[in-house]
Amino acid sequence: MAGEDTDGELARRAAAGDAAAFAVLAERHYDRVYALAWRWCGARAEAQDVAQDAMVKMATAMNAFRNDCAFTTWAYRIAYTTAIDHIRARRKIVALEPARMSALVDGPDGDTPEDEMMGQDLWRVVRALPDQQRDAVLLVYAQDLSHGEAAALMGCSEKTVSWHLHEARKRLKNQLEPAR
Amino acid sequence: MIEPDLTRLKDAPVPPPDSDAKRVALAAAMAAFEKGAAEAQGSAAPQRLSHASSPMEGKRKMRQTFYFDRALAASIIALMIGAPAAFMLSRNYSPGGGSISSLPIGRAAPPAEIALAPRVKAPAAISPAPTPSAPLAREERAKTAGALGGRADGVAAPPPRLAGSVRKDAAPPPPRSLQPAKPVAAIGAEGARPSPPVDTNVVPESEFRDRFESKETSPVKSAASEPISTFSIDVDAASYAFARRALNAGRLPPKDSVRVEEFVNYFPYDYPKPESAQTPFKPTIMVTPSPWSAGNRLVHVAIQGYALQSAERPRANLVFLIDVSGSMSPQDRLPLVKNALRMLVDELKPEDTIAVVTYASGSGVALEPTKIADKAKILAAIDALGAGGSTAGAQGIQDAYRLAESNFDRSAVNRVILATDGDFNVGVTDQSELKGLIERKREKGVFLSILGFGQGNYNDALMQALAQNGNGAAVYVDTLNEARKALVEEASSTLFPIAKDVKIQVEWNPARVSEYRLIGYETRALRREDFNNDKVDAGDVGSGHRVTAIYEITPAGSEKKLLDDLRYGKKTPTPAAAQAESELGFLKLRYKLPKEEASRLIEQPIAEQQSVESLARAPQDVRFSVAVAAFAQLLKGAPYLGEYGYDDVIALAQSAKGDDPFGYRAEFVNLARLAKSARP
Repeated sequence: MAGEDTDGELARRAAAGDAAAFAVLAERHYDRVYALAWRWCGARAEAQDVAQDAMVKMATAMNAFRNDCAFTTWAYRIAYTTAIDHIRARRKIVALEPARMSALVDGPDGDTPEDEMMGQDLWRVVRALPDQQRDAVLLVYAQDLSHGEAAALMGCSEKTVSWHLHEARKRLKNQLEPAR
Repeated sequence: MIEPDLTRLKDAPVPPPDSDAKRVALAAAMAAFEKGAAEAQGSAAPQRLSHASSPMEGKRKMRQTFYFDRALAASIIALMIGAPAAFMLSRNYSPGGGSISSLPIGRAAPPAEIALAPRVKAPAAISPAPTPSAPLAREERAKTAGALGGRADGVAAPPPRLAGSVRKDAAPPPPRSLQPAKPVAAIGAEGARPSPPVDTNVVPESEFRDRFESKETSPVKSAASEPISTFSIDVDAASYAFARRALNAGRLPPKDSVRVEEFVNYFPYDYPKPESAQTPFKPTIMVTPSPWSAGNRLVHVAIQGYALQSAERPRANLVFLIDVSGSMSPQDRLPLVKNALRMLVDELKPEDTIAVVTYASGSGVALEPTKIADKAKILAAIDALGAGGSTAGAQGIQDAYRLAESNFDRSAVNRVILATDGDFNVGVTDQSELKGLIERKREKGVFLSILGFGQGNYNDALMQALAQNGNGAAVYVDTLNEARKALVEEASSTLFPIAKDVKIQVEWNPARVSEYRLIGYETRALRREDFNNDKVDAGDVGSGHRVTAIYEITPAGSEKKLLDDLRYGKKTPTPAAAQAESELGFLKLRYKLPKEEASRLIEQPIAEQQSVESLARAPQDVRFSVAVAAFAQLLKGAPYLGEYGYDDVIALAQSAKGDDPFGYRAEFVNLARLAKSARP
């Protein structure tokens, strides 16, 4: 059963054009891609969109996969870039929403409905961090990557990741304190 | 100090995806994969199934078929769920989850019929929604949907653009949805969710996609408990021009778009002039009976700014940042901008400079800073502007500021003028970042003004906020006449500030005034303590500009008042001298000269000597501005006008038209007539 093959083996075959191998990979990793997307977007419907886009990108790019890094690294790089692209694009659109207009005067973006529903103020403040701090926090803490792995994804040095984390903690401390 | 527990993030639950979403995503991915594989092999897409030659052939083919079925089923499900769900979305936004999930989800059904059925039905059943202004994400989604449709194409042979076309027609009207339009698959998935999409739209009028910030009408206040009224002046007039456009189209403007002070300040008035630029303001106060509320009085505060003579005008260093995106192509947008620029070039002095930066998907410098003396070069650059034409690098506003700074002259007026229809996408997308940028540049001495064009996309609140942060005015330009008014006639007032951070504070004397209300200026209210705080930013006044503010007051002792006396309130703690006792109130005006950081003060009592016993005896400009204020309040639906109606506005304005050389006042009377018959 191909389902028991390793990611590396399946990825090699998928890169060579084996649709079945890719199907197994896609099935196996969808949930994690979706989870990553949700961590960045904070809303289920959006995360599903992002996950779908990421899966399609992965499929399109599969034949360019050279096995020079782990498949998961490669896959999550795609998922990560798709998610942040999506957030950037969304910001352009959201910026024109009247409900968000006051944010221009008063501060950062507001909640997504799911945030409020689930009472996840930690997610909310993390997502409201400046982009790079947010990415560093989510990659290291939520995705459980090492500083080095996060740095590779973010295209910066390990030191920079540590610095972003430090800044983020400082900021979060200030923000969470009055809330408690 | 509480250390945020970020490790919680790792184990925090992620709400699971819909199973349909996963199926659809995997199907789309498989479709894309096979398309990619087929292209890589240089063969046509439909042939890919019969084209297996690896040693794994048997197994692979079997799996392909399996996934192929699965992909197909997902596509079909998406179409079946997607079409009806989208239909409901576009009608009333509350898809009933039950009815959708009870639809047959047929995996084994014969592909062709099912795939064709929604194609025939869907477009007919779904009335086309207004086309959104193509946000970036949509293109990607279209691609995704295309991939999905393409997959179905290769197999079940419905027309290739099926999924795409259904999606487009079925997309809900964009401004009502928090999220960008989705491919049909995603709409299906969403429709199956129990909760309807969240509607964050606050503009009630469906016809207007323009965006306005909602503010409550200033309330009636008690002079005893809150004797001080403080606000920033406002010389914007965008609200009036916007309402004019709506009324001319036979509609009432959205209530939130009406700002009374901008209506009043739209019109030129001939108020008494100050003598010198050193004391650049002259306040004139007039107290008249209120035409709409017997017993009440209006306190009309007119402030005339000093008009710089041409020789005193500082040099101008202007950078136009012009939106040349596709939405700017209609006649009332980019062509109007170009005409306005040509007129402005005639108005400026030879040593003034002008530069032009364009932005659309990217930004480009269309004209480096050029002296007006080199008119031919400027006109050629203006002529060459075309919607859609721009170079890469989405850095519009930064480019504009860079040019303004490269040519910065401390003694000159340094200003970036943004001309846009509201798709404000100039390279800085983070809102607070954009606001911060404009503020920082303002502190460095480069101000921002905004000219708004076109209707349908105009983003009023954003423009207001940006212009206010940039010490500039937001002007809505709908006709060449308006462009001339904004850029040429008032070129000096729009471009050459005589004072900045102009604030007004009125203290009411509770012995004479029991209640008061400031008409308009809702978005400009300041706190009492802000008045003397020079750090608090307020509005700019340009050369020759004038500002009018009108209060409605209820005299002390009147039975008409809306607020009851306080039973335990102090008895009017006025330590004032006998002379002050007779005053209605006291006006203070604070301003800074353009190059100064410390404010100056002008003070004047509001006294009985400045009153007239009937409105008819007030000067013509006072009467006209009162008519305008009444009109704006009617459009806004403010609750204080009683029986006063459009006919009264027309009569009052007619009597106060004066010589009206540019026809603004005649136009106003005409708009009041239109408002009588306009539909909301």
